[in-house]
Amino acid sequence: MVDLGLLKWARTKSPWLLHFNSGACNGCDIEVVALLTPRYDVERFGVKLEPSPRHADVLVVTGVVTKQCEARLKMIYEQMPSPKFVVAVGACACSGGIFQGCYNVSGRLDKIIPVDVYIPGCPPKPEAIVQGVAKLLAKLKG
Amino acid sequence: MKMFETAVESLKNNLADAIVEFRVPRPRKAYILLKSERHRDAISLLLKEIKDIELSTITGVDLGNEIELNYHMACEGVVTLKNRVSREKPVTQTITDILPGANLYEREVFDLLGVVFEGHPNLERLMLPERWPKGDYPLRKDWKLPADQPDFGSEGPVQAKSAEDTTGSIVNVVVGPQHPVLHEPERFSFKVDGETVVDVEPRLGYVHRGIEKAAERMMYFQDVFLVERICGICNAAHTTVFCQAVEDIGNIETPSRALYLRTIIHELNRVHSHLLLLGVGGHLLGFEALFQHVWRDREPVMDIVERITGNRLMSGFNTIGGVRRDIDPNTVEKTLKTVKAVRKRAVFYKNVFEEDATLRLRTEGVGVLSREDALKLCVVGPVLRGSGVASDVRKDDPYAAYEEIPFNVISYDDCDTWARLMVRAEEVLESLDIIEYALNHLPDGRLRVRVQRKIPEGEAVSRVEAPRGELIHYVKSDGTAYPYRVKVRAPTLANLLAFPGIIRGGYIADIPSVMGSLDPCFSCTDRMAFIDNGKGKKWHWSLDDVNNSKNSKVLI
Repeated sequence: MVDLGLLKWARTKSPWLLHFNSGACNGCDIEVVALLTPRYDVERFGVKLEPSPRHADVLVVTGVVTKQCEARLKMIYEQMPSPKFVVAVGACACSGGIFQGCYNVSGRLDKIIPVDVYIPGCPPKPEAIVQGVAKLLAKLKG
Repeated sequence: MKMFETAVESLKNNLADAIVEFRVPRPRKAYILLKSERHRDAISLLLKEIKDIELSTITGVDLGNEIELNYHMACEGVVTLKNRVSREKPVTQTITDILPGANLYEREVFDLLGVVFEGHPNLERLMLPERWPKGDYPLRKDWKLPADQPDFGSEGPVQAKSAEDTTGSIVNVVVGPQHPVLHEPERFSFKVDGETVVDVEPRLGYVHRGIEKAAERMMYFQDVFLVERICGICNAAHTTVFCQAVEDIGNIETPSRALYLRTIIHELNRVHSHLLLLGVGGHLLGFEALFQHVWRDREPVMDIVERITGNRLMSGFNTIGGVRRDIDPNTVEKTLKTVKAVRKRAVFYKNVFEEDATLRLRTEGVGVLSREDALKLCVVGPVLRGSGVASDVRKDDPYAAYEEIPFNVISYDDCDTWARLMVRAEEVLESLDIIEYALNHLPDGRLRVRVQRKIPEGEAVSRVEAPRGELIHYVKSDGTAYPYRVKVRAPTLANLLAFPGIIRGGYIADIPSVMGSLDPCFSCTDRMAFIDNGKGKKWHWSLDDVNNSKNSKVLI
């Protein structure tokens, strides 16, 4: 049996993020990318942006979920190894925002997959996203 | 100015028998209603008579018993040619044979309004999901969201249609829609032969939310906030162009202080957008340090935007009839200081792109888009200027305060990826000059005029030079507080059509940098689909399968 303490320690010291834009306007996306650059630099928390769902611990979703993205989003979520965590970044992912009721929109993120952390804002400032990530880390520590 | 008048005159003289209604309500804007099916004659005539004329987009408007197709031809002004087709049997002739750049626009109208373009080479869905019910056209006026939502459990076929004719050593590689770095999810099917790209077919619509329909159920003032959320990066361009269109219909005089403030925010947008792309360009070429440095130096620009507008990106700064916030003397001083600091860094980055030998090796002669092809495919913005066409809406069709501000249009004749990056690097410097000039010459006066909720009946085309190129909005009003039709054509749609042409014959390794130079981007393969044509068998590999495959070295 694997030592769960070790796994938990590893996960909180270095959570790997997968970013998926499920129908965002790019506003939240560039703020998520800005996190990785020198001013905000979330890599100091061991956070790394990871391209493959199979290597990721945390799924960061920006934007409202469009009908065409819905199936793909579920697929990505299913491909991630457990335990997995989901962060909804921005008003659209949290609530549907201004795009509620549009014809090609499935709805807010937690209607599609379970969400652990909500970061509201249009778009949330990078500081707010850092705080969201920090809250998630606190949650991981348990 | 001359070109627009020549265009209007030649239409009047040569096609007098085809014109039903002729209006030039404003300088550089003409609306011409043609007799049924005469649009091809008019467009061929314009292409023959006017150098450098392009098709901006095609707007379909449901008029009740007819569907009106507006062909917006841009040449220092916009000539809108109207062709009406019956709603019962909406069929018209394609113009893709005389102007290949109309391809995606015709597909968009077909997808959302159900107009069939006879003779179109590939009249397929563009925006809606594959399993969207046939015969459901959301932009028609009587269309309502059905109560029982159809099941969208599948994205439809993963392979491109053209994959069917892959033979021999040609392999089909599907990239997307999930990419690790940024920008919209889009899917591309590449056909590759060894290291060489044979063809590519894009599939759009992953972020299609139906904003044009949503705009019809909101009031004009609310729509300003909606169109701002079309794109988070060039949000000021979208609000500027929408407000301009509504002000045009309503004959609203915007105060000159507001026009200057709009210009400042618009240019700050351009500076941060171009820096963003130059950084991402560095990242795509494997130059991580450049990416980190450029993004670090982009932050002061974001600080200024936040200080002036109240938010880093979405600010709700523009409104119909003016702007919503003033700029105080302290902020002016701070902005001028920041502009100076950013200019120093921008000059440095321009030199990096100009002098770095490795960077030039990776980008020179890669993804060549000739001047003729650029015009034929109707590309816009830095992509067009990188192909040697000095076309810029700010100069050709001045809006906001650009008529009073001196600046240069940057263009390069190299036609390659390097040229497109250099255009952006130099434009940052021009934009900084514009901001400085506007701040130093900021007129006094009111910020906005009072505007009625109801906008009089009418229509207007408006365009601006967004960071990625010409952005055009078409607004039609029926005299209520709600727009009858809002049409948006963002620059990326125009530039995307150029991608297959310039990557054909290139290497797989060049895909990211060429894609990046057009300004959407991606960098990772998500899944691949293989077709063995000899046996007619199809199968899919996940990323893990590929990793475990003996042949994976070639593909990854």
